[in-house]
Amino acid sequence: MFRQHVSQHLSAYCQDELAPPQARRVAEHLLGCQRCRGKYEEIKLGVALARALPMADAPAALWQGIEAALAQQERAGATTGAHAPRRPFILFATWPRVAALSFASLVIAALVGGWLYLRPPAAAWDVARLAGAPQIGMERIGQTGRLAVGEWLETDSNSRAEISVARIGQVEIEPQTRVRLVETRATEHRLELARGTLHARIYAPPRLFFVDTPSAVAADLGCAYTLEVDDAGRSLLHVTSGWVALERGARESVVPAGAACATVPGTGPGTPYFEDASDSFLHALVAFDFRQGGAQALDTVIAEARLRDTLTLWHLLARVDGAERIRVYERLAQLSPPPDGVTRDGVLGLNEAMLQRWKDDLQGKWLHESFPAVRRVWRSLWQ
Amino acid sequence: MESQVAMSEPESDAGLIAACQQGDREAFRLLFEQHKDRVYSVALYFFGGDAAQAADITQQVFLKLFTKIAQFRSEAEFTTWLHRLTTNACVDEQRKLRRLTQFDEATGQRTVPAGTGQEYVYARREVAERVTAAVAELKPKLRVAILLKYFEGLSYEEMAEALGCSKGTVASRLNRGHKMLARRLGHLRSMLGPGEQEVNRK
Repeated sequence: MFRQHVSQHLSAYCQDELAPPQARRVAEHLLGCQRCRGKYEEIKLGVALARALPMADAPAALWQGIEAALAQQERAGATTGAHAPRRPFILFATWPRVAALSFASLVIAALVGGWLYLRPPAAAWDVARLAGAPQIGMERIGQTGRLAVGEWLETDSNSRAEISVARIGQVEIEPQTRVRLVETRATEHRLELARGTLHARIYAPPRLFFVDTPSAVAADLGCAYTLEVDDAGRSLLHVTSGWVALERGARESVVPAGAACATVPGTGPGTPYFEDASDSFLHALVAFDFRQGGAQALDTVIAEARLRDTLTLWHLLARVDGAERIRVYERLAQLSPPPDGVTRDGVLGLNEAMLQRWKDDLQGKWLHESFPAVRRVWRSLWQ
Repeated sequence: MESQVAMSEPESDAGLIAACQQGDREAFRLLFEQHKDRVYSVALYFFGGDAAQAADITQQVFLKLFTKIAQFRSEAEFTTWLHRLTTNACVDEQRKLRRLTQFDEATGQRTVPAGTGQEYVYARREVAERVTAAVAELKPKLRVAILLKYFEGLSYEEMAEALGCSKGTVASRLNRGHKMLARRLGHLRSMLGPGEQEVNRK
């Protein structure tokens, strides 16, 4: 018999996971130990309760979403040709064909060599290895590498890399990330983030650097930010300084420092929010944006909004209509009255100039509230 | 592409995986059909009955599996990956959600699968709903252990492999999980049928 109590073995005993001699010793101990018998009854009840959970049927529509995403990945070349059948190598059997082929090869080689010699330098960005073995295309890079237009940079679970974005900033690539250089020219630099996480620090005029994700485009407005994309194509943007615009079609979310915004394929950018908002505010906002939360979710957002959350309310004005727009307007006006020249009718009619003017007025409050520490430092310098 | 797998009878995972590796879309669908309910159930109960979240997780898991399908060399490797992906996806998503929001009783869609019958079914659903809520309150490591055990039907050794820990740790997590469920829901004992309170001991 176990001299010590056997309570730590009781689940394994219940589920026949102990070796026979050990199970026998537990059984013998239970016969003589009232305390462990009590615990055994408790574990048995826990097992019975856990078993009461029925298997759930996954919704039938799930497969359609998976199939669509697989097709999209295939189109994007994400499957790296693993499924492509290999074409057999064909031998040319006759000498005339061999001669003709050789001549053609020489001509092609001369043309290609001339083009390689004469072509302008290829557009490419420098990549530095930070950890592990990042790959460009199928090749692992050493300490440094070059990412050309159209090429993919990929990190595994142990790798990290840093890309120098022309002369305007850096992008740090976290593990399990896949990015492609889409374009680099004087007026536009563009990456595609297929999955994973990047941190961008850009020192350039607005709208010079873009990141395409499966559900939206992140347009830099002079800033630093983190952008994550998961396997379902959803993304989460977190801005640490400056501003970033998330865009998809006519839908745009402008996200300042300290704020975040999620995007979902098919829906596009959600409504931006400050991360220190209340839990119920944030949950209601997610429900409103992505889960058909409707009027109930909107009620919670309106009720819980603070002065900083005018960021969210301002964006919501154009995303709701009718009575809901009136409620959003009234809460926004209550938290921060519209400036001179901005009228209730104009805002409810989505007058672009008035909305912009109100936003300009609110921005000071968003940024002002975003940097309490910076504000303190400024004050101390002037005192 | 023409399907390489039989349509009429259940196919082994090994055969389906081989067909998937050749790019057979029908094999993908059959593999999904064979595992979808278990993956969905683990995610559903991990997130306290949130059907939308469970659907998202299920899609994520299968998308990841299918894009990595070429890497699996055996059926065992595939199933270990499936369990790992499911649990990691749940835990990762919860971390992300914590940054987005906290799970909210008021707006989450809580659904416990419907059964058949009348009073019995009503009592079963009542128990299932309470257990769902209690499981959702367990620490993630305990929750994952309970769900893998009861929905994937894994042995302690298989769970240890999927969770990357020892068998002893698995036993300890299940022990703590069972104990907490019993302490929170002891009052439901009378609602469990006598047969349901029996355990696997022979």
